[in-house]
Amino acid sequence: MPRTTRTTRLAGAAAVALAAALTLTACGSSGGGSAPTKVTRQKADSPYQGTVLTKNFEKPDLQLTDTSGQPYDLRQQTNGKTTLLFFGYTSCPDVCPTTMGDIGVAMKALSPEDRQKVNVVFVSTDPQRDTPKVLRTWLDSMGSDFIGLTGDLAKVKTAARSLGIMIEDPVVNADGTVTSTHGAQVLAFLPSDDKAHVLYLSGTEEKTYEHDLPLLAKGVAA
Amino acid sequence: MKGATGRTTLGFRRTALTGAVLATALGGGAILVACGAGGQDGAGGGPAKLSVADSYIPLPPAGGMAAGYLTVRNDGGQDQLLKVSSPGAESVTMHRSTPSSMEEVASLDVPAHGALQFARGGTHLMIMGWQKAPALGDELELDLTFAKSGTLSVKVPVKELTYRPSQS
Repeated sequence: MPRTTRTTRLAGAAAVALAAALTLTACGSSGGGSAPTKVTRQKADSPYQGTVLTKNFEKPDLQLTDTSGQPYDLRQQTNGKTTLLFFGYTSCPDVCPTTMGDIGVAMKALSPEDRQKVNVVFVSTDPQRDTPKVLRTWLDSMGSDFIGLTGDLAKVKTAARSLGIMIEDPVVNADGTVTSTHGAQVLAFLPSDDKAHVLYLSGTEEKTYEHDLPLLAKGVAA
Repeated sequence: MKGATGRTTLGFRRTALTGAVLATALGGGAILVACGAGGQDGAGGGPAKLSVADSYIPLPPAGGMAAGYLTVRNDGGQDQLLKVSSPGAESVTMHRSTPSSMEEVASLDVPAHGALQFARGGTHLMIMGWQKAPALGDELELDLTFAKSGTLSVKVPVKELTYRPSQS
């Protein structure tokens, strides 16, 4: 009967209205609720949650200064060790501390034994401001054993480019602040061949690092 | 009267209609209770009705430059966030992260019956020149100036570096 149809439709409208009200009310629970889009893809046969690279970049040939002011040779000193590599700068309020902070939390969840097997390396894209001391203070908030490297920006740019990461010169804004570039990804190098096998886009959830770090520490193939 | 006639002929339909109207009205009531920030009632476009939720400042790693995140909810008409300042910091600017950098934004829209959301890796406040180095548990006053709604003052707590409001 036409009336029944109509009634059903109207009841449907009421349901929609209620649903809409609930959705709006739900704004009270958390910041909009829309979880960040999942950026990682899972290769069917990979144990990793990060994006598995099909092109395995070589660890860049990069000599800079570490946070104790000593020369640091990335290839030599991380040879045969799992290495996470991120390019960023300390006067970056959002992406850099979020990324490094999440890695720090995941690192703390590792067993001490696994933790020793992982190098976390932060390469400054703003060496003029990021002195070894500044880097150390900043990194200590995320991990006192994190390695911070600073030095010739030209070298940093070349190294980044070899990994498909574009770093620009810092820009001094009208108000005197400096905006630099950071990598949009963290690269994980495996100890087996010292090549990059897994990639984590910035915005990757801490849980993803927590899942993958024990595998990376053990050098599990991607 | 009209009502009496209607009841005889369209009784069932009328009930359903009433139900729909009631549900909507009740739903609306719930929204106001949950998120209402005061202000005048306005149907449709009307004045903006703003409230701030989920605000936090992650403890800055080196005590200096910090980010700030919050959600501006709007249960009314459209508005625009023009400026953010703080009596406890020299400068507060609005930025948007891009994949590899960030750019300053002059103003941000607060959509009607929607929300303006600041979030990690996206739109964020950049806070510099603290009068006192921030510590966990501190609260920093932020004054948000809107095009139509004037200035809203909120106390924003300093949380751990990796805090997120969606994580309990």
